[in-house]
Amino acid sequence: MPAKSPKVSATLQNLIDKGLLDRLPVSFSAFCIDQMQEWELLFPAERNYYERLFALLDRSSPAAVERLFAPIREIERKMGVNEKTWPADRFTLEQVDFLNRNPYYPEWRRAVAAVFAELDPVLDTETVRGGHARLVVVIAPAELPVDAARMWTRLPNRGKRIAIQAPERVEEFAALLLTGTKDGRAPTIAERFASGKKGGAYSSWIVEAGSGLSRLGGDSSSVVKYSYTSLDTYRKRLMQEVQRVVDSQEAAGPRQLSARLKQLKILASEGGVARDPILAEFARAILLSGNGTLLLNNTFVEWATVQAVRRARPSVAIIGFGVRNKVKPFSNLLIYADQEAANPIPTQMDTLGSYVDLEIFYQYIWQEFDKYAEYSNNTAYVFAGEGLDEVLAIAPPDFPLLAASEPFTLPTVFQHLTDWLGVGA
Amino acid sequence: MFDLTKRRFVQLAGLSIANRILPGRLRAQELKPRGPSNKVILVTFGGGVRYSETFAPEGLVNIPRLVELRPQGHFFRNCVNSGVLSHFNSTASIVTGNWQRVDDFGSEPPAKATLFEYYRKQTGAGPLDAWVVATNKSFASMGWGSDRSLGQPYGANVVLPKQLLLEAVQETVKKGSRGGVADRENVLRHLEGVLSEGYEGVGWTIFKAGHKLDQHVRDTLVRGLAEYINGPEAPSSGDELTFFIAREIMREFSPRLMLVNFWDMDVAHWGSYSLYLNAITRTDRLTGMLWDEIQTNANYKGKTTMLVLPELGRDGDANAANGFLNHRSGDPSCRNMWLLALGGGGGAGVPRGESERVVHHVDVAATAAELLGIKVGGLAGSPMGELL
Repeated sequence: MPAKSPKVSATLQNLIDKGLLDRLPVSFSAFCIDQMQEWELLFPAERNYYERLFALLDRSSPAAVERLFAPIREIERKMGVNEKTWPADRFTLEQVDFLNRNPYYPEWRRAVAAVFAELDPVLDTETVRGGHARLVVVIAPAELPVDAARMWTRLPNRGKRIAIQAPERVEEFAALLLTGTKDGRAPTIAERFASGKKGGAYSSWIVEAGSGLSRLGGDSSSVVKYSYTSLDTYRKRLMQEVQRVVDSQEAAGPRQLSARLKQLKILASEGGVARDPILAEFARAILLSGNGTLLLNNTFVEWATVQAVRRARPSVAIIGFGVRNKVKPFSNLLIYADQEAANPIPTQMDTLGSYVDLEIFYQYIWQEFDKYAEYSNNTAYVFAGEGLDEVLAIAPPDFPLLAASEPFTLPTVFQHLTDWLGVGA
Repeated sequence: MFDLTKRRFVQLAGLSIANRILPGRLRAQELKPRGPSNKVILVTFGGGVRYSETFAPEGLVNIPRLVELRPQGHFFRNCVNSGVLSHFNSTASIVTGNWQRVDDFGSEPPAKATLFEYYRKQTGAGPLDAWVVATNKSFASMGWGSDRSLGQPYGANVVLPKQLLLEAVQETVKKGSRGGVADRENVLRHLEGVLSEGYEGVGWTIFKAGHKLDQHVRDTLVRGLAEYINGPEAPSSGDELTFFIAREIMREFSPRLMLVNFWDMDVAHWGSYSLYLNAITRTDRLTGMLWDEIQTNANYKGKTTMLVLPELGRDGDANAANGFLNHRSGDPSCRNMWLLALGGGGGAGVPRGESERVVHHVDVAATAAELLGIKVGGLAGSPMGELL
């Protein structure tokens, strides 16, 4: 058993004890060990994946495993992977750098992809067998300066536009769609699923730019909720801390900086997700991933959603975009500064820019879900815009909304969604 | 209010650079390069841009100037970056003609000699004749490689105009001045501070530069900065400043070899597609303005080849790495780009046309060397025969 094996489940530990990791190429096994290093911070779906992956390798014949990984071993040899360049079980930024700068890196990537191309279909078959109906609702803000005909333009041939009767008061749109009631006090569809027999922890998510969706429904802690607005205090503290660390040059390099950033955990006063170590770490990772999530609300929503799909595989996802603010003069020079404090010019909404941003994000989000077997042929996607009289539905043929012959009211849409998930009243 | 325009500021900035680089006595003795008088300007869409937002049919709307210029030059439809898909290594591969695999944060110079060094050593050109104008601070070490037979004595001046602005803006915020960066006087005050306290901290590498600016030059520069900051087009874009400084260097020193690395489009990492598109269009406009300068500047017109290419691409929309936000997947969208050659020294210049033939980033240095009439050995790239 490798000295630095992570603490994992008993099932996986048994496989590691049998020397399974030792039979794999070092770059592959080190990557897996790194990914499993903080086992207690992995979502159940991630743990389940690793258990199934290694169980599959374990039950495969040694000759088949050897054949499968032979191309990676060969490329490792060409790359100069040895105990000096790659100490056993280590996968730090040093190894990432080693890979990136190696002329054989593209070949290595292809070889790793080829391994997964052989393993994933087998694992996916298991996943599909245990499949169930899933739902993704993506809501655009009312302020976008376009009508329904100019929405979701990158997904034109994927689904069907369905006429709906939008409420007169746009403020009631999300409540009616997600709870079936104007006041939004009934349980949301996310809550209903989470408390149902197929639900459970981490099965239902709300990710949003504002905080309105998270406030709908009852006081259910069974739904995972990430709100850019609600994380404001944590975001500002992170920006200040990062700026301080960079300014003070306390971190000598990327590795040290990464270690420092690891310590910047969310406090209980900064958000409800602090109560759950997995969700707390997820929030930290999302905000410090370097993709503008600290700065732009919709980037936060997109990236948090994409990561939730990759890692947690939610069955119900409610995604609420917003309007981002116009970038103020010099903002691109002040990545980690509080824009409001740095520049007292009044903040203005960039509605047109947000529209352009979101059109590509709808596509990315749909694509991300569609990559995974969990969502194959059993997931209904509903793209809506607050105040719009159309939604776009991408769904299997038996999704009830697709049978619409006249505009639905939002409570009717809600009813069909709950029926689809099997969580109707 | 000071009676200086933004344009006047950059003129003065250029002059101040000249004075810092070389005392008048030495300037008068500035070496004239031997060989043909052809000039080469390399322009990179730094930060990375995809085909789909540029020369793909759906991207043409973002680059009206390049679309207009394309029929006037030679367009290579397939220019491939086969190296490390990071900023420093990509541009270092362009200027060395060899795929570079060094630290991407600029802590190491390119591992091979740069075109600047070969050019200056072989032609005897002085230090004013090779320049790098870039936005990214890590590019401070782009002026010469680690080959000891060449190196710093033959390297290029490296100026990072955006860093000057950045230092000033950050200081403004740090000091908590009332009005923040919205009060341009605050920014100006801190720009003065940066210039007074030693601009080397900004990352510039200027040959023979002193630590203190001459008072007269400094005062002049500050007056120019006042106008620049307070003018109607206050520089919120680092690339605009990069352009103004590059143009002023052309006007003041007429270097024969210059790399201009634009950078704004790397805002894509923020995850805003609209800001990314705006940056591409701005770079297109600034590139067009550089070409306009070549056409109107007697020192460049008719003897300059401008090679324009993206430093690297960005991940494709279908890619697992989150599409345009990143450039880490190594997919074709990251690697496959284009190159537009314009102008040309002597004779008919660059033959008009388009090529399907695959060229690579490392071919740029080999081609530029031929255009400059110098010999370089050990390059991974080959000259683009279409341009010679």
